Amino acid sequence: MKKIVILGLDCATPQLLFDEFRDALPNLRSLMEKGVYAKLRSTDPPITVPAWTAMMTSKDPGILGFYGFRNRAAYDYSSLYFANAKYVKEKTIWNYVSRNRMSSLVFGVPQTYPPKPLNGMMVASFLTPNKEVQYTWPDDVKAELDQAADGDYMIDVDDFRTDDKDRLLEQIYVMTERRWKAFRHFYKKDDYNFSIVVEMGVDRIHHAFWRFHDKKHRLYEPGNKYETAIRDYYVALDGEIGKTLELFGEDTAVMVVSDHGAKTMHGAICVNEWMQREGYLTLKEKPSSPVRFKMDMVDWDKTRAWGEGGYYSRIFFNVKGREPNGQVPAEEYDSFREEIKARLEDIRDEDGNNIGTKVLKPEEAYKEVRNVAPDLIVYFGDLDWRSAGSVGTGSVHLYENDTGPDDANHAQEGIFICSLPPERFAEVKDTFSIYDVAPTVLTWLGIDVPGDMIGRSLIK
Amino acid sequence: MKGFTLWFTGLSGAGKSTLSQEIEIALLERGMRVEVLDGDCIRENLSKGLTFSKEDRDINIRRIGFVCNLLTRNDVVAIAAAISPYKAVRREVRETIGRFVMVHCECPIPVLKERDPKGLYEKALAGEIKNFTGISDPYEPPEKPEIVCHTDKEEIEESVNKILATLEILGYIPKLDTAEYSAEEEAKIKQRLKDLGYI
Repeated sequence: MKKIVILGLDCATPQLLFDEFRDALPNLRSLMEKGVYAKLRSTDPPITVPAWTAMMTSKDPGILGFYGFRNRAAYDYSSLYFANAKYVKEKTIWNYVSRNRMSSLVFGVPQTYPPKPLNGMMVASFLTPNKEVQYTWPDDVKAELDQAADGDYMIDVDDFRTDDKDRLLEQIYVMTERRWKAFRHFYKKDDYNFSIVVEMGVDRIHHAFWRFHDKKHRLYEPGNKYETAIRDYYVALDGEIGKTLELFGEDTAVMVVSDHGAKTMHGAICVNEWMQREGYLTLKEKPSSPVRFKMDMVDWDKTRAWGEGGYYSRIFFNVKGREPNGQVPAEEYDSFREEIKARLEDIRDEDGNNIGTKVLKPEEAYKEVRNVAPDLIVYFGDLDWRSAGSVGTGSVHLYENDTGPDDANHAQEGIFICSLPPERFAEVKDTFSIYDVAPTVLTWLGIDVPGDMIGRSLIK
Repeated sequence: MKGFTLWFTGLSGAGKSTLSQEIEIALLERGMRVEVLDGDCIRENLSKGLTFSKEDRDINIRRIGFVCNLLTRNDVVAIAAAISPYKAVRREVRETIGRFVMVHCECPIPVLKERDPKGLYEKALAGEIKNFTGISDPYEPPEKPEIVCHTDKEEIEESVNKILATLEILGYIPKLDTAEYSAEEEAKIKQRLKDLGYI
């Protein structure tokens, strides 16, 4: 029986895994040496939702119809909805595996809550509200999880924005150890054609400890207590991967992938402060101290555009005939978009240097644009800067993150490692696409790649 | 999940095979064990040599029903797609199996003549095929099918959704979870995403 296992490391980044830490990671290094490794170009935007689902479906965010964790349900001023599994309408790898009478073990893949039935078992991940809800399929897996994990199975760490770094670090380790223990338990219990486990710990440790590790980060202090925290975690994870690899037979292909990479964060651009400064956005009342931007603060009669914060920014226009109180005439939409795009691309740092912002139009970035897409997608400083949603900060530039300490931003390129030898590959390149993962898995399992998948199989 | 039989009846070309294949895929995706017994295929093996006389048609249906019953009691979903024109033998099969859902694929003959993918209606009308249901042989429509698919008016997806929804309501297949977040859960997720810097 042909099998394939994906070991997913959310946010694992090529510069650390392939270069800096490579020699300290014997198991991953051995996979790289005997197989193929490359960078994996993520989705636009390179963020957990929609990236994992894009990888599992080989569909871009436009086709999936969600553009981040939160999305507009309609062209109105109501709040955004969370795109959980309910909103995933495209077929995933395990849908195809199930319909071909093969089984799947889906463990911790983001955006799988609420879990849908499949041929196999599923433990949902990120976006599961708490452990009280039904987050496994079938139901009885839930009861077995804690036992399999040798302790309280942790979907994610709590209290991420904490200054108690020791406690957070411990939590990340405990979470990781228990997840991999549980994954191995369920993997051994049955025979699965397709298995995937996704570890969130890498993302969490990057965001919480980047400044202690990255010598180029402005807050880096040589010899600090947490200097090797990220490295040590990668080493520990490599150990878990090693124990897991021991379970796989010769007929099992292994992929190690991430949904996006990480890089240092220079600071944040307060997108709605910028919008106000440029005259696009007017608030009913100007806050005197930093507060979170909310739709009900806006004077819609005097607003043409606003933005959402996050690792990247989504810009929405207030268009006549589209939004309830639209101000941008529909016939001026294109010229307005060009104008605001050019001004965003011209954003400077405090020394007056252009930070190299990238602005994407959904219809150019995606094959199709479904549901309510942002009018523009913005990577401030090509993601060297994050987008802060707060208003009342008094400045467009922010060096302390508005939602608590965070030192890393997402990078467009994640990792790809495959145990199959280079001869099996159609082409060996230094960068593959996130959309190629699903077609490659199906090809290995002997399942025809559906014509509507965006990517192509990497193997012959 | 326990097994059941999903029985498609209707004239040739009314969409029984198409819908049964779609339902097979949907149920496999939900992790169910499924087998399809398609009339055309059954007449190539299990019922090879049988004619289209009423007697032979009844034998054919009884054989399909027999296999469906074996599958059903072993917790497999048995999907039958056969013209099954006679009421009496359909009722007999239903009573034997018990866990039984009938889908009537209904489509007016003029539309079927128009569709005629296998050219059968043309041949039947020309008298080249004898005992052709709906043309030269009777079809007794089911009186109380659980589901009717008007395949001349409905898109395939619409019919498939109707069948799946009915099977969910009847408790034969697991529901696709459509859990909404409670206000409290939503607030919690929002806070976590905020904490993690995603929003």
